[in-house]
Amino acid sequence: MATQAQAANTTTRTTSRRIRQGSFFNQTLPFWLLLPTLLIIAAIQFYPGFYSIWLSFQERQGAVWNFVGLRNFERMFGSAAFRESVGHTAVFLIGYIVVTMAASLIIALLLNRKLKLGGVYISLIFIPWVIADVIAGLVFGLLVVPDYGLLSPILSNPTLFPPNGLSIPSDPAPRPWIQGFPFPPAPAMYYLILATSWRALPFVTLLILAALKTVPQEIVESARMDGASGAQVLRFITLPLILPTLVVALFNLMLGGMNGIGLVFTLTRGGPGTATEVLSFLLYTIGFGRLEFGRAAALSVFIAAINLALIMLTLRVSRTEERVA
Amino acid sequence: MQASLPSSQGYAARKRLQPWLTNGAMIVIIALLMLPIALTLSTSFKRERDVLRKPPVLVPCDGPDGRFSLSECRFDIEGYERVIAPRSNPNSLLGFSLTGRMFSTYVPNTLLYAFASSALVFVFSGLAGYAFSRYRFCGRRALMVAILAITGIPLLTNLLALYQMAVDLRKAGIPGYDERMFIIAVYVGFQLPFSVWIVKGFFDTIPRELEEAAFIDGCTPIGALWRIVVPLAMPGLLAAFLLCFVNVWNEFIAGYLLITKRDLRTVMFGMYDFLSQNIINYQVVAAACVLIAAPVVILFLFTRKTFFQALTEGAIKG
Repeated sequence: MATQAQAANTTTRTTSRRIRQGSFFNQTLPFWLLLPTLLIIAAIQFYPGFYSIWLSFQERQGAVWNFVGLRNFERMFGSAAFRESVGHTAVFLIGYIVVTMAASLIIALLLNRKLKLGGVYISLIFIPWVIADVIAGLVFGLLVVPDYGLLSPILSNPTLFPPNGLSIPSDPAPRPWIQGFPFPPAPAMYYLILATSWRALPFVTLLILAALKTVPQEIVESARMDGASGAQVLRFITLPLILPTLVVALFNLMLGGMNGIGLVFTLTRGGPGTATEVLSFLLYTIGFGRLEFGRAAALSVFIAAINLALIMLTLRVSRTEERVA
Repeated sequence: MQASLPSSQGYAARKRLQPWLTNGAMIVIIALLMLPIALTLSTSFKRERDVLRKPPVLVPCDGPDGRFSLSECRFDIEGYERVIAPRSNPNSLLGFSLTGRMFSTYVPNTLLYAFASSALVFVFSGLAGYAFSRYRFCGRRALMVAILAITGIPLLTNLLALYQMAVDLRKAGIPGYDERMFIIAVYVGFQLPFSVWIVKGFFDTIPRELEEAAFIDGCTPIGALWRIVVPLAMPGLLAAFLLCFVNVWNEFIAGYLLITKRDLRTVMFGMYDFLSQNIINYQVVAAACVLIAAPVVILFLFTRKTFFQALTEGAIKG
């Protein structure tokens, strides 16, 4: 064992010496390998990001940009549209995450039972993920067109759905029970959650399934021998073991939910009224609809901060997982 | 002791029944998930008269007496014809040309963007992934985290600046500059971070000893990358290529905001445009949905193993 490690060590040293002995090009090779990637990412991601931060402190007056300090942020965070949109985003995220996580967990647990057709099932389940969000929005939109949509007879059935529950895009939002918080959400919001979950579910199912495959069968079997019920095995063995993956999936879902816009764009366009105007769509309306770039930049700095926090948390969790594994 | 064990007879019965129950549950779930797709397919094959019926019918198979019979089914490809809009044209290779904007303009454009950006992502992520996987230079971990963290900037934020950039570049009048180059660069920039992580993960699984043997035989690092690592890590590189291809094909908002010339726009803009043009012709919209979603769905079904591997690797490690 020791000799093996030693041998590996020597070869590594030989190769690194060989590389060090090479030309200038070979010595600085990692830099040249990374150069194209870094240049493109700098131009398409870094520069626009910093430009937005700069933009968030500016206001256009005529043809010139003037420094206005934090006024964009004050106006953005003080506006009723922002506060409303945060509420909509919260409702959307909670609904979307609960629906997607619950459905994916159930499907993954079923698929983990080593079915003969498991491969076929997961491939079929994955089709919604491949379909573009614009197309998913159109497809879901066609189903609920008032009178002609194939689901509209069900949705307009007064016994199944009380009045106000039909024709998703045109109905007014119900009056919120909690002041200033859009709850219960408009029917359009339920439908948006459903459509978004439909697209996100395959990916989360795949993640959870991959984690379930790593749960050692011996532990499960010995627990069953000791008389643990299926529910107890799930609660005390399976779920704790796949917890890191569940957390990664959760953050992934939150990131997707915070930033996805294609579905909102084609399905509801933020409507009816502002009932489905989530933060990403508000950013679009302010930035590209009303061309108020300064305020849009202030809002996007806010969204970017949340995203960054989520990514850092994901990294931390997955690194802990690596250490455990 | 005796009581806590499940009775052997019940246990055996459950063991026998379980696969049936699980399969049954799976089939119900898949039927529910496939419902929107099935309904779109059925709408796309309807005639305009059947689309505009109140109440709507699932399949237009009822006779004048309102009863279902297979011989009464009225399916039509009118919707597809109106998307593709073929006109006979003796000069063309196939004897007809496609005059619908979708297939004469948007699909070729998107194919160009998707192939060009996937090829660039393939090369660049291969090079960068190799550097991250094989060399320990200062700032390596920080750079990798920075590349990932940069994806946290909302897409629309980047587009605010890229929109300005596109306007400036157009005004600058650089000879040979084309909107197409800019949009390809933007797609590459959006797809690279995740691809680099996937490819690096695949490179990490290839034992270093193989390259070291090559070094001893006098191979340069680039030679070792090209002759040994790339062939072995092909699944990972292909996954990066395919993911990029599907993402560019499905991308809407960047193409919508950054491309000004109508002749250079992408399929998803075409889809969005269809919505505003064919507001009553639902069968045309449905047919367009089927035609545009089909290529990536078929591509995915053939390469699903690569996708699954890359997605689980990339998401858990990244």
